[in-house]
This record gives sequence, C-alpha cells and structure tokens, in this order.
Amino acid sequence: MAENKLFGFSASPHVKGKRTTKWIMANVCIALLPTTVMGIIYFGLYALLIVGLSVVSAVCAEVIYKLITKKTLSCIVKEFDFTSVVTGLLVGLSIGVNYPWYAPILGSIFAIIVVKMLFGGTGKNLVNPAIAGRIFIFISFQTVVGGWVLPMSGDVITGATTLGGLYSGSDVSTINLLNLLLGNNLAGCIGETCKIALLCGAIYLAILKIIDIRLPLIYVAVTGLTTVCLYGFNFAYFLPSILSGGLILGAFFMATDYVTTPNTFIGNLIYFTALGIVTAVLRFATHMETVSFAILLLNLFVPLIDKHVINRPFGYKKPIKGDK
Amino acid sequence: MMKKLKKIASDGIITSNPTFRLVLGTCPTLALTTMAMNGIGMGLAVTFVLICSNLIVSLLRHVIPKQVRIPAYVLIIATFVTVIRLLLDKFLPDIYDSLGLFLPLIVVNCIILGRAESFASKNAPLYAVADGLFMGIGFTLALTLMGAFREILGSGMIFGIKLWDFQIAFFSSNAGAFFTYGVFIALFSLITSVVAKRKKEKTTKNNEVVCEPVAEVK
Repeated sequence: MAENKLFGFSASPHVKGKRTTKWIMANVCIALLPTTVMGIIYFGLYALLIVGLSVVSAVCAEVIYKLITKKTLSCIVKEFDFTSVVTGLLVGLSIGVNYPWYAPILGSIFAIIVVKMLFGGTGKNLVNPAIAGRIFIFISFQTVVGGWVLPMSGDVITGATTLGGLYSGSDVSTINLLNLLLGNNLAGCIGETCKIALLCGAIYLAILKIIDIRLPLIYVAVTGLTTVCLYGFNFAYFLPSILSGGLILGAFFMATDYVTTPNTFIGNLIYFTALGIVTAVLRFATHMETVSFAILLLNLFVPLIDKHVINRPFGYKKPIKGDK
Repeated sequence: MMKKLKKIASDGIITSNPTFRLVLGTCPTLALTTMAMNGIGMGLAVTFVLICSNLIVSLLRHVIPKQVRIPAYVLIIATFVTVIRLLLDKFLPDIYDSLGLFLPLIVVNCIILGRAESFASKNAPLYAVADGLFMGIGFTLALTLMGAFREILGSGMIFGIKLWDFQIAFFSSNAGAFFTYGVFIALFSLITSVVAKRKKEKTTKNNEVVCEPVAEVK
C-alpha cells in the first residue's frame, strides 16, 4: 500500500520512549527537592509539616476522587503519575510557615478536585492547579495570618516585604543582592526564599530537556526590563525585581507547566513575554507579589494563543499574491 | 385547579427554580449572598414585588396593548419596588442599608419581568398570584441556602451568630460567589435529573402494563 510506504507504519512491537508523564513529573519532584530542603532548613520543621500535608492531601484527594468515579484500586495505582505530588509540593512551597496547618490541606484539595479532576484530570485542566490552589489559600488566609515570616528567626513581618518596599519607592541601593539570592533575612514563602536552590532545580530540568530554559528566562528578563521602564529606565531595579518575591519559583516551575502553555514556540514567546509584562505592571500597581495571579490570568489566554498561532505545516508554501 | 396550583408550586420551588434552574436574577444572587440574612431580605422583597406585579399584570392582561406591554410591565414593577423601598426604609432600616443599591435594581430583575411576560399575562389572577408566591419562595430559598453556605464557610457565622473561628475567606469573596453558585446549580441539575429519570421509569412501567392488553387484542 502506498500510504504504508509513505509513513512507514509497522506492526505492534513499537519502540517505547521512557519520557512518560510519570518520568517527567518524578523528575520535577527531584528538581524541587533542594528548594524543599532549604525551606525546611530556613523555616524549621513546621515547613516540613506544611509541605508534607499538602503533598499527602493532594495525592489522597486524587485517589478518593478516582474511587468515587468507580475506578478500581489497581487501575488507580497503574494510572498514578506524579502530577498530584508536584501540585501538592508547589502548593506547600508557595505559602508561608505562618499559615494554619489546615490551609495547605484545603488548598491542595481545591487544586486537585476543583481545578484538575473536575475538568477531566491530568492534561485537561484549564489553569495550573498549583497556582489556583495557592491563590485559594492566599485569598482565604492571608488577611488572617497577616505578613510573612523571616527565615531562621521566625519573626513575622507585617509591614512591607522587600518586594513591597521595592515597588512602593523605597531606596533601591539599600537592597543587598546577595541576601536576595541566598534568601538571607528575606521574608517570604517556604519555597521562594533560596534562589540558588531553585536555580539548581531549574538547571537539572533544563539538562534533562524537561523545560526549555529560554522561555522562563524570557519571562524573568521581561519582568525586570518592564520594571526598569516603569521606574524611568533606572537599571538599579533590574536585579532586585527579579530576585525578590516568587518570580524564580513561578517562572521555572509553575509557568512552564506543559498543560497550560501554548503548543507552538512562537505562541510560547508571546505567552512568556506577556507574563513578564503583566507581572511587572501588576506588581507596580499593587505593591504586592503578583506572579501567581499573572500566571493564572495568562493561563486563560493559552487556548486563544493556540487558536491563532499555528505552526506552518511541513512543505506548505505561502500562496503568492496575485497568483491564482 | 388543585393540580395546577400544585404544579405551579413544584415548578417555582424546584423544577424551574428561578435561580438554580432558570439562572435569572444572577446579579443580586452573586452580590448579596455573603450572609444568609441578606438573602432572606432580598428574597422577601422580590417575593412581594412578584406577587403584586403578577396580580396587576394578570388583571390588566386584556387591557394592555401588545405593542407596549414591556414598558407597561416595567411601570407596574417600578411602582411596587418604590413601595417596598419606602416600607423597608421606614420599618427595617438595617436590611434597607445592607441591600443598598440592589433594592432599586429589583425593577430590572429578570425573574419579575420574565414571570409577568411568560405567565401572568396569560393566566388568571389566582394562578398568577400563586406563581408569584412560589417563584418568590424559590428565589428566597435559593438565596438563603447560598447565603448560609457562604456565611458558614466564609466567616464562620450563621444568621450573624458566631459558630467558630475557622473561616475560609475565599467563600466571602466574589470568586467564592461564582464557585458556590456553580456548585448549587450542579446539585439542582443532579436532583432534577434523578427525579426525571425516576418519573420516566414509572411511566414506562405503566405503559408496559397498558400496552399488553392492546397487543392481545391485535
């Protein structure tokens, strides 16, 4: 048959790739390990409790949902990929240690049940479940707990954090970049303080080609540049705006989620550039960390980008104007 | 007559509940259900307007010319909205304050205009009043249910009484309003579909019994 020759079909024993969803997600978990460890070192055992609870409740929520939808236990074990572990881990890492113990549980359950499973499970969710879970917790409990925790000391900052101060016009030159990089004396979430650990994980993912390292770098750079533009081309704002807040965590681990990014490279360029602009402008307007809100907002535009940015089919030539 | 009234009652409260089945009057539903008490106040105000406007529209249904019926209905509804506003302002100033802008906005509430157009203008006054009453009760129940759900979870209170300190502020926010609304619509769809399925099974069983003798005759 002509088609067989053309496409080279063959009978069933096919070559199997090892890059399954399970493999990818397990590697994302490994990439997040240094951050988790640093978070526990910085914030104490309560951080371990928060991260652990959110991971366990995310996995439990998925299993219980599948049991309710009448799947057998063996089927669930077979289907188990590490997506719910990654979701739980990111939810746990993106909240502070001053949250009550039930906050990560509720956030993970919301992320898994409402955002992921109700839309059809892994690969069918409209927005990133971890981001949605994080925002659920943030909206629900931030006013109750108030402020962020300093690493090591456990003091709670109720006033402006480094990022809040940066965007509300305090002196840029007082900010110590090394402190920002190491997370020393920097209040924030469990996972966002130590930038070195985050970058290690990101490089690990980039080496395994799980994420395209160019795209989050575009996001980070655009955020910095937009901030510089907003403050009258003062380049002193470039590095502090990148290194403060959860931008590194959001850019490398949350925005790069396969399900909620466009399918084409050009689409991705548009998506990550827009993310950077939206993040910087929202930060400028609210004096708060807005990475998660920007990602949630832009996630909703992904289907639109995919609709209008289409790859050129192989061998397709543009019809020349005037030629019939 | 009793059968028709019964149908009006079940329609208004469950099968075509204005909030959860017809999805009308969404604006006050989303904005006012942060507390159960607001829901009751808004629901009863709408019920009053619904009953009165349905009665008047039904009485005047042969008088109002078809071409100008909508302005005429709006005029009738606006009259009663003004009445309820003045009454609430005088006797229940707390509820008047908490409902705020949404009280005069009852004029453009789709439930009232919808019932005037699709029911009261075609039916006798008695049925129109019954329809207004049960639609209003359906709306009040829906708002109270949503309000109680959001109040318990969002601020740990019910009808202003403190239950516990545990609260998830998400449910008092606007996003929580949409979320709660969706959950309740899903629940109502589930209930009505289950009821309809049972009814269908019942009628098919009856039909089988009826059909058998017919087959024998052939």
